[in-house]
Amino acid sequence: MIDFSKSRFLVIDDLPQARDALRTIAQTIGAFSVEFASNYQDAIYRIRNNAPDVILCDYMLGEGRSGQQLLEELRRFNLLADETIFMMVTGEQSYEQVVSAVELVPDDYIIKPFSPDKLTLRLERIAAKKLLFGKYYRQKRQQDFQGALKTLAGLHESEAGRPYRFEVLRQQAEVLLAKGDAQAAESVYRKILENYEFPWARAGVARTLHKQNRLTEARQEIDRVVGGTPNYFDAADVKATICMAQGEHEEAQKVLDDVSKKTPRNYLRKRLLAEAATLNGDLDKARSTLADVLSNDSMPGAVTPEDRLSLARSHVIAGDLISAENLLVKMRDSEVQNFALDNQASFAALLAVCSPGKGKPKFVGLRPALFETELSATTRLDVMRAALSLSDPELADRHAEHLMSSPDAKKVFGAIRTQYALHGREMDFREIQKQVALKRIRHEETPAKPPPPAE
Amino acid sequence: MSDPLDVLASGVHDAKNQLFFAETLLAARETATGLDLGEARYAIEAAALRLSRTLTAYRLMRQDAQLAIVPCILDDLCAEVALAQAKHLRAIGLELTVDCQVTDPWPLDRDLIADMLNNAVQNAARFARRQIRLSALTDDSGLVLQVEDDGPGFATLPPASSTGLLVAGRLAALHIRHELSGQLHLDNDSRLGGARFALHLPR
Repeated sequence: MIDFSKSRFLVIDDLPQARDALRTIAQTIGAFSVEFASNYQDAIYRIRNNAPDVILCDYMLGEGRSGQQLLEELRRFNLLADETIFMMVTGEQSYEQVVSAVELVPDDYIIKPFSPDKLTLRLERIAAKKLLFGKYYRQKRQQDFQGALKTLAGLHESEAGRPYRFEVLRQQAEVLLAKGDAQAAESVYRKILENYEFPWARAGVARTLHKQNRLTEARQEIDRVVGGTPNYFDAADVKATICMAQGEHEEAQKVLDDVSKKTPRNYLRKRLLAEAATLNGDLDKARSTLADVLSNDSMPGAVTPEDRLSLARSHVIAGDLISAENLLVKMRDSEVQNFALDNQASFAALLAVCSPGKGKPKFVGLRPALFETELSATTRLDVMRAALSLSDPELADRHAEHLMSSPDAKKVFGAIRTQYALHGREMDFREIQKQVALKRIRHEETPAKPPPPAE
Repeated sequence: MSDPLDVLASGVHDAKNQLFFAETLLAARETATGLDLGEARYAIEAAALRLSRTLTAYRLMRQDAQLAIVPCILDDLCAEVALAQAKHLRAIGLELTVDCQVTDPWPLDRDLIADMLNNAVQNAARFARRQIRLSALTDDSGLVLQVEDDGPGFATLPPASSTGLLVAGRLAALHIRHELSGQLHLDNDSRLGGARFALHLPR
């Protein structure tokens, strides 16, 4: 029996009558205090400022928001400790369809009507489980992956951990992925699948295959999940990411566009959609989607410099240099100086394209670093584009070659070809393609893992 | 909202919300006054269960019926059925015993299986003399969830079909694992001497 007399409850429901009912229940089981939140923003504000011990959240929050979105947002901004109990309250069975498919689940859900006794029973169970996993939560928070894996292995072997066998395996796979061991994570997901065909475990296999750059297999696995569980939206994101890596940008955009219509307030998904649309050359879609993100992703800190750079990038590619320049010059110097090198380089490269007078000096200043430093694929494309536009073939070719030899080759192949064609340098592009292929053949003659083909 | 399932689901949702308010008011009154309103609350929960069952029946009989399979702890499942039923059964002079021998989690549709077991216990209560037993065990073929009573047993075997049995049979069949599907067995081999309702899920 746990004692709720020290627990602070937060009840989240948009309907006053339902809020009262949940408060009454919380008081009946002896809650120390019960706070209310009547909407999504209010809930986030309260949880951020004074995290409760137990959250009772209705699934339907009004204004097109759901409790599931709230849960995802809380995790996204790291506002929900593993120790906090999050209980979803739902009116009908359809929520279980969501829970059985998604990766990010609440601690439990309860279907109305329910008695105070039933809620107590459920909360006690969750509390017992959290106590059992307590050490693991702390190690995960400290990113002590070795320690976390050891604790999970202990739970897997113990009698007390036996009822949570699937949960232990799932957490093992997540830790292994976070640690960068995709192959080991894959075998853990496969072990789960030997037991039962859980869609989240199949999607896990696809994610781990993608990390290993085994794209065709990853695609087969994720197609199976998406086909079998059309309401598993996270799987659509995984599929789109894999499609992009395969260079199938049109399919990626289509998948994300369909799901985004059903989840209009999922702005992480919209960012992914904008990326797919940009790669697909649908710049109107990219720009309108990013504008939506910039004006409506309302959590403080949600909109980042990367988002504004993404929008500027899609303006540049669309040839709308005035809009791009307007956006870039609004960024303050102090802000730009605090960027990581990737973002600084992208900023300088984009500005150099739309306003050489303002951007070229900064870009040229960064040039030596641009030869030496590891950069993201997106930034390399920006640098390559600016170098082509400023007639700096050495810098452009260096980045084009690097991209075409990297695991991102298929993803960016079309974009590179387009840019070279735009500057009348198709022949140079073909020469780079040839050099990369020759290098690969030489590399393959020595037994080693081959990089992916460029086309 | 053109799908009749959505229309039906929305109506059931609203009605269950109303029932939730009613149950909450009673719970608050119990706390405030010390009165035992358990039977009134039980009646409300029974009404909600009927609504759910109607919706479930409609949903499961469709071609595109999909279950929501999650790893389920059988101890917890049995405890919840006992919590929902035991007090009412005591009030009408029956005893419910629970015997769960399964420690490992089992993949199943927790809510629909719980509704089905609640329903089976309620049916058993109509015929039992003194006792009902809810048990969970595993055998070579998989998991067995049973409700047994000490009543006269089914008058005919197989028993006459009803919506409840139809739904239970369909629910069993939809639980597919390693290409085998679940089955419902009804007989008079109860260890208590009466009828036995047994759901077999494959391993």
